[in-house]
Amino acid sequence: MKSLDRQSLEEQARLVSRYVAGDLSRSERAEFEAWLVASHELAAEVEMERRLRRGIASAARRGWLKRGAEAVSEVRERRWRMAIAASVVVSLLLMGVTFVLPNGSRNESRTVASSSQVIPALPRIVRLSANRSLETTPDIALSRQAPPSELTIEPAVVVLTCPDGSLELECAGGTLPQTPQYPEYEMDLVSRQGSNLAWRSARQIASTGPVLSFVLGEPEKLAAGDYDVIVRGHSPDHEEVVARFWLRVN
Amino acid sequence: MSAISLDEIEKIVSAALGGDRQAETRMLVALRPGVLAVLRFGAFHRWVDAEDLTQETLQVVVERVRARTIDDPRKVFAFAAATARNMALNAARKMLRQQTVVDSDLVDELAQNLETEPSDMSEADDRQLAQAVMALLDELPTERDREVLVRFYLDGTDKQQLCRELGLSPKHFDRVLMRARTRLRTIIERRAPHLALVPRITSVLLPLAISFTFWVRDFGSW
Repeated sequence: MKSLDRQSLEEQARLVSRYVAGDLSRSERAEFEAWLVASHELAAEVEMERRLRRGIASAARRGWLKRGAEAVSEVRERRWRMAIAASVVVSLLLMGVTFVLPNGSRNESRTVASSSQVIPALPRIVRLSANRSLETTPDIALSRQAPPSELTIEPAVVVLTCPDGSLELECAGGTLPQTPQYPEYEMDLVSRQGSNLAWRSARQIASTGPVLSFVLGEPEKLAAGDYDVIVRGHSPDHEEVVARFWLRVN
Repeated sequence: MSAISLDEIEKIVSAALGGDRQAETRMLVALRPGVLAVLRFGAFHRWVDAEDLTQETLQVVVERVRARTIDDPRKVFAFAAATARNMALNAARKMLRQQTVVDSDLVDELAQNLETEPSDMSEADDRQLAQAVMALLDELPTERDREVLVRFYLDGTDKQQLCRELGLSPKHFDRVLMRARTRLRTIIERRAPHLALVPRITSVLLPLAISFTFWVRDFGSW
């Protein structure tokens, strides 16, 4: 832990969001939590981060808040309508007579309204077995022309162990292995061109089954190309790539 | 109880390390919110009873302080955090071992419950929190800041991607988030003070109880 000065505390405060999302490395997390114990201010920041996340999710659930792209387009549409309305008012003032509204602006309004009517795409769920096929075809193929509204990838990759952590077909007492090897898992999409991280899931806690489920919210944002789909298991003192698949975006 | 400053906590822990018994009690009070935060927000928060484990962690910490094997307050903070984390991990392991459910429907239901954030709020509180967040978004000075928050928290867009698309530096991005948290705190304190960070009475009573236990055990009297 660095010296307990103001600057070091501010450095840690920048990590709050990543800490709450479970994105810190093991050493970063250990240092952050030592600060958390020492600083009520940092603990309050973490609490507010959670409140902020929860409040935003709650507002969205209630329909008060739309997702980013929609919200931005709605704001732009509202501004466009206001601009039309303002120009109509200015035109009327300038003309100083009682005329009907200009047809152009009405038509424009209709154009804006019709352009916002987009046929919704359907979500897609892909189940992946732990046993992969030969590396000749991608495990998942997506088309940018007709992307799903969201892509759920469900890899069956959790290794179940006995309560003592051993890998056996049958545990002591005759029970089947049911304890996930790692308490948490996450998924990365890494572009094969340049090895850039394109997307990282939130960490999820393994249940008692072998199947995980990761939801990619906006698959249309992936650039065309090949991606490694990497599933990583996490425990407090260890992390390991437990599976790797191939995604192609055409 | 007002929040104790970083310097003050360091001084209290130093005094406790020096054998000052009164400082020891103050140390337990001072460390409690942080230890509770590690347990409530850490990797295994879904699996643990944070209040119970906080008490157990503080007991281990006070034993270590008394044993005089630590000489630096910063090491006490790191030790407390590591102890809390290990206790949470053990609790999570224990829970996994106890899960021997084989019925697939039940497993799905269980998994779903585990994925749900434990709810410590009523519907009315949840609504008030959502209203506070909407007020915060309305008050933001620029449309860009609003976009940052919505796309980061709701859409899950990556920080790097947002910085690239909106022309922000990573530091500026962090400042937007930090300002939002500070502002939300003010709004909550104004609109729904019961949702603000008011320490519970247990945050004082529990450390006193731990301290009392040690005094009685070690010296036979309070």
